[in-house]
Amino acid sequence: MPRVTIARHILAANEEVAAEVRQRLAAAGVRCINLMSGPGAGKTTLLERSVARLRGRLAIGVIEGDIETSLDAERMEAAGAQVVQINTRGACHLEAQMVRDALEALDLQRLDLLFIENIGNLVCPAAWDLGEDLRVVVVCTTEGDEKPAKYPQIFAAAQVLVLNKLDLLPYVDYDPERVRAQALAVNPGLQIFALSCRSGEGLDTWCDWLLAFAGKSSGAAVSEAPHAMGGAVS
Amino acid sequence: MHELALAESIIEVVEARAEECGVQRVRTVHLRVGEASGVLVEALQAAFAMLASLSPVLAEARLAIEISPHRAWCEPCASSFAVEDFIARCPACGTWSTRILSGTELQILDMEVGADTQQGGHEQAHNG
Ligand SMILES: Nc1nc2c(ncn2[C@@H]2O[C@H](COP(=O)(O)OP(=O)(O)OP(=O)(O)O)[C@@H](O)[C@H]2O)c(=O)[nH]1
Ligand SMILES: [Mg+2]
Ligand SMILES: [Zn+2]
Repeated sequence: MPRVTIARHILAANEEVAAEVRQRLAAAGVRCINLMSGPGAGKTTLLERSVARLRGRLAIGVIEGDIETSLDAERMEAAGAQVVQINTRGACHLEAQMVRDALEALDLQRLDLLFIENIGNLVCPAAWDLGEDLRVVVVCTTEGDEKPAKYPQIFAAAQVLVLNKLDLLPYVDYDPERVRAQALAVNPGLQIFALSCRSGEGLDTWCDWLLAFAGKSSGAAVSEAPHAMGGAVS
Repeated sequence: MHELALAESIIEVVEARAEECGVQRVRTVHLRVGEASGVLVEALQAAFAMLASLSPVLAEARLAIEISPHRAWCEPCASSFAVEDFIARCPACGTWSTRILSGTELQILDMEVGADTQQGGHEQAHNG
Protein backbone atom coordinates (compact mmCIF):
# COMPACT_ATOMS: atom_id res chain seq x y z
CA MET A 1 0.00 0.00 0.00
CA PRO A 2 1.38 3.46 -0.88
CA ARG A 3 2.77 5.46 1.97
CA VAL A 4 2.61 9.22 2.34
CA THR A 5 5.03 10.96 4.66
CA ILE A 6 3.56 13.28 7.29
CA ALA A 7 6.40 13.85 9.80
CA ARG A 8 4.58 16.30 12.07
CA HIS A 9 4.08 16.71 15.78
CA ILE A 10 0.74 15.28 16.94
CA LEU A 11 -0.07 18.72 18.34
CA ALA A 12 1.23 20.50 15.24
CA ALA A 13 -1.65 22.97 15.12
CA ASN A 14 -1.11 23.95 18.75
CA GLU A 15 2.65 24.29 18.21
CA GLU A 16 2.06 26.69 15.33
CA VAL A 17 -0.29 28.90 17.31
CA ALA A 18 2.11 28.82 20.27
CA ALA A 19 4.92 30.02 18.01
CA GLU A 20 2.69 32.87 16.85
CA VAL A 21 1.87 33.85 20.44
CA ARG A 22 5.57 33.72 21.35
CA GLN A 23 6.40 35.97 18.42
CA ARG A 24 3.73 38.53 19.28
CA LEU A 25 4.79 38.72 22.89
CA ALA A 26 8.46 39.04 21.97
CA ALA A 27 7.65 41.81 19.50
CA ALA A 28 5.80 43.68 22.25
CA GLY A 29 8.65 43.11 24.72
CA VAL A 30 6.48 41.08 27.09
CA ARG A 31 7.93 38.09 28.96
CA CYS A 32 5.51 35.24 29.59
CA ILE A 33 5.22 32.60 32.32
CA ASN A 34 2.96 29.54 32.20
CA LEU A 35 1.97 28.89 35.83
CA MET A 36 0.90 25.34 36.61
CA SER A 37 -0.07 23.36 39.72
CA GLY A 38 -2.56 20.92 41.14
CA PRO A 39 -5.87 22.47 42.29
CA GLY A 40 -5.45 24.92 45.13
CA ALA A 41 -1.64 24.94 45.50
CA GLY A 42 -1.78 28.75 45.51
CA LYS A 43 -1.30 30.00 41.95
CA THR A 44 -3.80 32.85 42.23
CA THR A 45 -2.61 33.82 45.70
CA LEU A 46 1.01 33.88 44.51
CA LEU A 47 -0.02 36.14 41.63
CA GLU A 48 -1.98 38.46 43.96
CA ARG A 49 1.02 38.81 46.26
CA SER A 50 3.44 39.29 43.36
CA VAL A 51 1.29 41.97 41.72
CA ALA A 52 0.85 43.81 45.01
CA ARG A 53 4.55 43.75 45.87
CA LEU A 54 5.71 44.74 42.42
CA ARG A 55 3.18 47.52 41.85
CA GLY A 56 4.89 50.50 40.23
CA ARG A 57 7.99 48.42 39.38
CA LEU A 58 6.59 45.77 37.06
CA ALA A 59 3.43 45.89 34.93
CA ILE A 60 1.90 42.43 35.25
CA GLY A 61 -0.91 41.00 33.16
CA VAL A 62 -2.72 37.74 33.87
CA ILE A 63 -4.62 35.29 31.73
CA GLU A 64 -6.73 33.26 34.15
CA GLY A 65 -7.57 29.75 33.06
CA ASP A 66 -10.38 28.04 34.94
CA ILE A 67 -12.86 25.36 34.03
CA GLU A 68 -15.71 27.56 35.30
CA THR A 69 -16.25 30.94 37.04
CA SER A 70 -14.39 34.25 36.88
CA LEU A 71 -13.59 34.22 40.61
CA ASP A 72 -9.82 34.14 40.11
CA ALA A 73 -9.96 36.93 37.52
CA GLU A 74 -11.92 39.07 39.95
CA ARG A 75 -9.22 38.49 42.58
CA MET A 76 -6.49 39.50 40.12
CA GLU A 77 -8.39 42.58 39.02
CA ALA A 78 -8.79 43.62 42.64
CA ALA A 79 -5.02 43.19 43.04
CA GLY A 80 -4.48 45.65 40.21
CA ALA A 81 -3.51 43.48 37.26
CA GLN A 82 -4.71 43.62 33.66
CA VAL A 83 -6.63 40.37 33.47
CA VAL A 84 -8.52 38.18 31.00
CA GLN A 85 -10.53 35.14 32.03
CA ILE A 86 -10.63 31.97 29.96
CA ASN A 87 -13.24 29.35 30.87
CA THR A 88 -12.55 25.98 29.29
CA ARG A 89 -16.00 24.55 30.24
CA GLY A 90 -14.58 21.20 31.23
CA ALA A 91 -11.30 20.97 29.35
CA CYS A 92 -8.48 20.01 31.68
CA HIS A 93 -5.75 22.25 30.21
CA LEU A 94 -5.30 25.47 28.25
CA GLU A 95 -4.37 25.42 24.57
CA ALA A 96 -2.43 28.02 22.58
CA GLN A 97 -5.52 29.04 20.62
CA MET A 98 -7.22 30.17 23.83
CA VAL A 99 -4.18 32.26 24.75
CA ARG A 100 -4.03 33.83 21.29
CA ASP A 101 -7.68 34.87 21.60
CA ALA A 102 -7.10 36.21 25.12
CA LEU A 103 -4.23 38.41 23.91
CA GLU A 104 -6.78 40.47 21.96
CA ALA A 105 -8.19 41.74 25.25
CA LEU A 106 -4.82 42.85 26.64
CA ASP A 107 -2.88 46.02 26.05
CA LEU A 108 0.53 44.41 25.52
CA GLN A 109 2.30 47.74 25.15
CA ARG A 110 1.53 48.45 28.80
CA LEU A 111 2.85 45.10 30.10
CA ASP A 112 6.27 43.85 31.17
CA LEU A 113 5.26 40.38 32.29
CA LEU A 114 2.32 38.14 31.42
CA PHE A 115 1.29 35.20 33.60
CA ILE A 116 -0.92 32.47 32.25
CA GLU A 117 -2.56 30.68 35.18
CA ASN A 118 -3.22 27.21 33.82
CA ILE A 119 -6.04 24.89 34.93
CA GLY A 120 -5.39 23.31 38.35
CA ASN A 121 -4.09 19.95 37.13
CA LEU A 122 -0.67 18.28 37.41
CA VAL A 123 -1.10 16.00 34.40
CA CYS A 124 -2.50 17.49 31.22
CA PRO A 125 -1.13 21.07 30.97
CA ALA A 126 2.44 19.77 30.53
CA ALA A 127 1.82 18.69 26.92
CA TRP A 128 0.53 22.03 25.60
CA ASP A 129 2.93 24.78 24.64
CA LEU A 130 1.11 28.09 25.16
CA GLY A 131 3.81 30.34 23.73
CA GLU A 132 5.36 31.03 27.15
CA ASP A 133 9.05 31.78 27.76
CA LEU A 134 9.13 29.84 31.01
CA ARG A 135 7.12 27.27 32.95
CA VAL A 136 6.66 27.49 36.70
CA VAL A 137 5.12 24.67 38.75
CA VAL A 138 3.72 25.37 42.20
CA VAL A 139 3.42 22.68 44.88
CA CYS A 140 2.34 23.20 48.48
CA THR A 141 2.87 21.65 51.88
CA THR A 142 -0.70 20.35 52.19
CA GLU A 143 -0.71 18.14 49.13
CA GLY A 144 1.84 15.49 50.19
CA ASP A 145 5.57 15.43 49.55
CA GLU A 146 5.62 12.91 46.72
CA LYS A 147 4.25 15.04 43.91
CA PRO A 148 7.44 15.26 41.79
CA ALA A 149 7.87 11.49 41.88
CA LYS A 150 4.19 10.82 41.14
CA TYR A 151 3.78 13.45 38.39
CA PRO A 152 7.30 13.64 36.94
CA GLN A 153 6.25 14.87 33.52
CA ILE A 154 5.20 18.34 34.59
CA PHE A 155 8.32 18.79 36.74
CA ALA A 156 10.50 17.66 33.85
CA ALA A 157 8.79 20.20 31.58
CA ALA A 158 9.26 23.19 33.94
CA GLN A 159 12.23 25.45 34.63
CA VAL A 160 11.12 26.75 38.02
CA LEU A 161 9.49 25.12 41.06
CA VAL A 162 7.73 27.11 43.78
CA LEU A 163 7.11 25.37 47.08
CA ASN A 164 4.26 27.29 48.74
CA LYS A 165 2.51 27.34 52.14
CA LEU A 166 5.70 27.03 54.22
CA ASP A 167 3.72 28.58 57.10
CA LEU A 168 1.80 25.29 57.43
CA LEU A 169 4.89 23.10 57.89
CA PRO A 170 4.36 22.73 61.68
CA TYR A 171 0.94 21.18 61.06
CA VAL A 172 1.67 18.69 58.29
CA ASP A 173 3.97 15.74 57.65
CA TYR A 174 5.83 17.23 54.77
CA ASP A 175 9.55 17.10 54.08
CA PRO A 176 10.60 19.96 51.77
CA GLU A 177 14.00 18.36 51.24
CA ARG A 178 12.33 15.23 49.94
CA VAL A 179 10.36 17.26 47.41
CA ARG A 180 13.47 19.14 46.41
CA ALA A 181 15.45 15.92 45.89
CA GLN A 182 12.64 14.28 43.88
CA ALA A 183 12.18 17.35 41.71
CA LEU A 184 15.90 17.68 41.00
CA ALA A 185 16.08 13.96 40.18
CA VAL A 186 13.62 14.37 37.31
CA ASN A 187 14.97 17.80 36.36
CA PRO A 188 18.50 18.63 37.59
CA GLY A 189 18.30 22.15 36.14
CA LEU A 190 15.19 23.15 38.07
CA GLN A 191 15.35 26.43 39.98
CA ILE A 192 13.53 26.22 43.32
CA PHE A 193 11.86 28.87 45.48
CA ALA A 194 10.32 28.06 48.86
CA LEU A 195 7.88 30.59 50.24
CA SER A 196 4.64 31.34 52.01
CA CYS A 197 2.05 33.58 50.42
CA ARG A 198 0.48 33.91 53.85
CA SER A 199 3.47 34.93 56.00
CA GLY A 200 5.35 36.59 53.15
CA GLU A 201 8.45 34.51 53.83
CA GLY A 202 10.49 34.00 50.66
CA LEU A 203 8.38 36.39 48.59
CA ASP A 204 11.13 39.03 48.33
CA THR A 205 13.50 36.53 46.72
CA TRP A 206 10.76 35.43 44.34
CA CYS A 207 9.83 39.01 43.39
CA ASP A 208 13.49 39.97 42.84
CA TRP A 209 13.80 37.02 40.53
CA LEU A 210 10.62 38.06 38.62
CA LEU A 211 12.07 41.55 38.15
CA ALA A 212 15.28 40.09 36.80
CA PHE A 213 13.41 37.69 34.55
CA ALA A 214 11.43 40.58 33.07
CA GLY A 215 14.65 42.57 32.62
CA LYS A 216 13.61 45.19 35.19
CA SER A 217 16.01 44.54 38.05
CA SER A 218 18.57 47.11 39.08
CA GLY A 219 21.00 44.55 40.50
CA ALA A 220 22.20 41.14 39.43
CA ALA A 221 19.62 39.15 41.34
CA VAL A 222 19.25 36.63 38.57
CA SER A 223 22.61 34.99 39.15
CA GLU A 224 21.91 34.54 42.86
CA ALA A 225 18.53 32.93 42.51
CA PRO A 226 19.29 29.51 40.98
CA HIS A 227 18.66 26.70 43.44
CA ALA A 228 17.96 29.18 46.25
CA MET A 229 15.68 27.72 48.91
CA GLY A 230 14.23 30.76 50.61
CA GLY A 231 13.21 30.88 54.24
CA ALA A 232 13.26 28.43 57.07
CA VAL A 233 13.66 25.17 55.22
CA SER A 234 15.96 22.95 57.22
CA MET B 1 -6.59 12.70 30.42
CA HIS B 2 -6.33 14.44 27.11
CA GLU B 3 -6.26 11.62 24.58
CA LEU B 4 -9.43 13.00 22.97
CA ALA B 5 -7.64 16.27 22.24
CA LEU B 6 -4.66 14.35 20.84
CA ALA B 7 -6.95 12.29 18.59
CA GLU B 8 -8.64 15.46 17.35
CA SER B 9 -5.30 16.97 16.49
CA ILE B 10 -4.09 13.83 14.70
CA ILE B 11 -7.23 13.79 12.57
CA GLU B 12 -6.84 17.47 11.72
CA VAL B 13 -3.22 16.98 10.62
CA VAL B 14 -3.94 13.80 8.65
CA GLU B 15 -7.01 15.23 6.90
CA ALA B 16 -5.02 18.28 5.82
CA ARG B 17 -2.20 16.12 4.49
CA ALA B 18 -4.67 13.81 2.69
CA GLU B 19 -6.30 16.76 0.98
CA GLU B 20 -2.92 18.17 -0.01
CA CYS B 21 -2.01 14.85 -1.69
CA GLY B 22 -5.43 14.06 -3.14
CA VAL B 23 -5.78 10.98 -0.95
CA GLN B 24 -9.32 9.59 -0.71
CA ARG B 25 -8.87 6.81 1.81
CA VAL B 26 -6.40 6.58 4.66
CA ARG B 27 -5.89 2.99 5.83
CA THR B 28 -3.30 3.29 8.55
CA VAL B 29 -1.74 6.22 10.39
CA HIS B 30 1.68 5.52 11.89
CA LEU B 31 2.60 7.30 15.11
CA ARG B 32 5.68 7.31 17.28
CA VAL B 33 4.74 7.92 20.91
CA GLY B 34 7.31 8.15 23.68
CA GLU B 35 6.81 5.92 26.71
CA ALA B 36 7.35 9.04 28.85
CA SER B 37 4.91 11.22 26.92
CA GLY B 38 2.07 10.42 29.30
CA VAL B 39 -0.18 9.09 26.56
CA LEU B 40 -2.48 6.17 27.31
CA VAL B 41 -2.33 4.16 24.11
CA GLU B 42 -5.67 2.38 24.64
CA ALA B 43 -7.45 5.65 25.35
CA LEU B 44 -5.89 7.24 22.29
CA GLN B 45 -6.95 4.26 20.13
CA ALA B 46 -10.52 4.50 21.43
CA ALA B 47 -10.73 8.27 20.93
CA PHE B 48 -9.28 7.98 17.43
CA ALA B 49 -11.68 5.18 16.43
CA MET B 50 -14.64 7.26 17.56
CA LEU B 51 -13.59 10.47 15.80
CA ALA B 52 -12.23 8.81 12.66
CA SER B 53 -15.58 7.10 12.06
CA LEU B 54 -17.03 10.58 11.46
CA SER B 55 -14.45 11.51 8.84
CA PRO B 56 -14.98 10.41 5.21
CA VAL B 57 -11.24 10.11 4.54
CA LEU B 58 -10.43 8.39 7.83
CA ALA B 59 -13.52 6.22 8.32
CA GLU B 60 -11.57 3.01 7.65
CA ALA B 61 -8.31 4.13 9.19
CA ARG B 62 -6.52 2.56 12.13
CA LEU B 63 -3.68 3.84 14.26
CA ALA B 64 -0.40 1.92 14.31
CA ILE B 65 1.52 3.15 17.34
CA GLU B 66 5.22 2.54 17.82
CA ILE B 67 6.29 3.16 21.43
CA SER B 68 9.75 4.65 21.75
CA PRO B 69 11.73 3.90 24.92
CA HIS B 70 12.83 6.64 27.32
CA ARG B 71 16.61 6.75 26.86
CA ALA B 72 19.36 9.22 27.68
CA TRP B 73 23.02 9.64 26.74
CA CYS B 74 25.87 9.37 29.24
CA GLU B 75 28.83 11.50 28.21
CA PRO B 76 31.52 9.83 30.40
CA CYS B 77 30.45 6.31 29.38
CA ALA B 78 29.81 7.36 25.78
CA SER B 79 26.75 5.13 25.75
CA SER B 80 23.00 5.34 26.15
CA PHE B 81 20.92 4.00 29.03
CA ALA B 82 17.28 3.45 29.93
CA VAL B 83 15.68 6.24 31.95
CA GLU B 84 13.55 4.85 34.80
CA ASP B 85 10.77 6.97 36.31
CA PHE B 86 12.06 10.09 34.54
CA ILE B 87 15.35 9.92 36.45
CA ALA B 88 18.10 10.34 33.88
CA ARG B 89 21.01 9.09 35.94
CA CYS B 90 23.48 6.69 34.35
CA PRO B 91 23.22 3.30 36.11
CA ALA B 92 26.86 2.54 35.28
CA CYS B 93 28.64 5.67 36.54
CA GLY B 94 25.98 7.76 38.33
CA THR B 95 26.33 10.82 36.09
CA TRP B 96 23.20 12.92 35.55
CA SER B 97 22.34 13.31 31.92
CA THR B 98 20.63 16.24 30.29
CA ARG B 99 20.60 14.65 26.87
CA ILE B 100 17.37 12.75 26.39
CA LEU B 101 17.59 10.64 23.24
CA SER B 102 14.03 9.38 23.00
CA GLY B 103 10.85 8.65 24.89
CA THR B 104 9.01 11.97 24.84
CA GLU B 105 7.95 12.00 21.18
CA LEU B 106 4.42 12.71 19.97
CA GLN B 107 5.02 12.25 16.29
CA ILE B 108 2.86 11.45 13.26
CA LEU B 109 5.21 9.58 10.94
CA ASP B 110 3.24 8.71 7.81
CA MET B 111 0.07 7.13 6.49
CA GLU B 112 -0.77 4.16 4.31
CA VAL B 113 -3.33 5.16 1.74
CA GLY B 114 -5.56 3.33 -0.70
CA ALA B 115 -7.85 4.16 -3.57
CA ASP B 116 -11.53 4.48 -2.81
CA THR B 117 -12.85 0.90 -2.78
CA GLN B 118 -16.41 2.01 -3.53
CA GLN B 119 -15.49 3.89 -6.69
CA GLY B 120 -12.90 1.29 -7.73
CA GLY B 121 -11.69 1.03 -11.34
CA HIS B 122 -8.95 3.57 -10.78
CA GLU B 123 -5.45 2.39 -11.39
CA GLN B 124 -3.50 2.39 -8.19
CA ALA B 125 0.03 3.64 -7.79
CA HIS B 126 2.33 0.75 -7.02
CA ASN B 127 4.94 1.03 -4.39
CA GLY B 128 7.30 -1.85 -3.65
N1 LIG C 1 -1.81 28.84 54.81
C1 LIG C 1 -1.61 29.22 53.55
N2 LIG C 1 -2.64 29.19 52.67
C2 LIG C 1 -2.40 29.59 51.40
C3 LIG C 1 -1.12 30.01 50.97
N3 LIG C 1 -1.20 30.31 49.64
C4 LIG C 1 -2.48 30.10 49.29
N4 LIG C 1 -3.21 29.68 50.33
C5 LIG C 1 -4.64 29.31 50.37
O1 LIG C 1 -4.85 28.16 49.56
C6 LIG C 1 -6.15 28.21 48.94
C7 LIG C 1 -6.03 28.02 47.43
O2 LIG C 1 -5.26 29.10 46.90
P1 LIG C 1 -5.43 29.63 45.41
O3 LIG C 1 -4.46 30.71 45.25
O4 LIG C 1 -6.85 29.91 45.10
O5 LIG C 1 -4.96 28.34 44.63
P2 LIG C 1 -4.96 28.08 43.04
O6 LIG C 1 -3.77 27.24 42.75
O7 LIG C 1 -5.09 29.35 42.32
O8 LIG C 1 -6.28 27.21 42.90
P3 LIG C 1 -7.07 26.80 41.53
O9 LIG C 1 -7.01 27.98 40.61
O10 LIG C 1 -8.44 26.49 42.01
O11 LIG C 1 -6.34 25.60 41.02
C8 LIG C 1 -6.74 29.56 49.32
O12 LIG C 1 -7.59 29.36 50.42
C9 LIG C 1 -5.52 30.38 49.74
O13 LIG C 1 -5.82 31.38 50.66
C10 LIG C 1 -0.05 30.02 51.92
O14 LIG C 1 1.11 30.34 51.65
N5 LIG C 1 -0.36 29.60 53.19
MG1 LIG D 1 -6.45 29.92 40.83
ZN1 LIG E 1 27.76 6.74 32.72
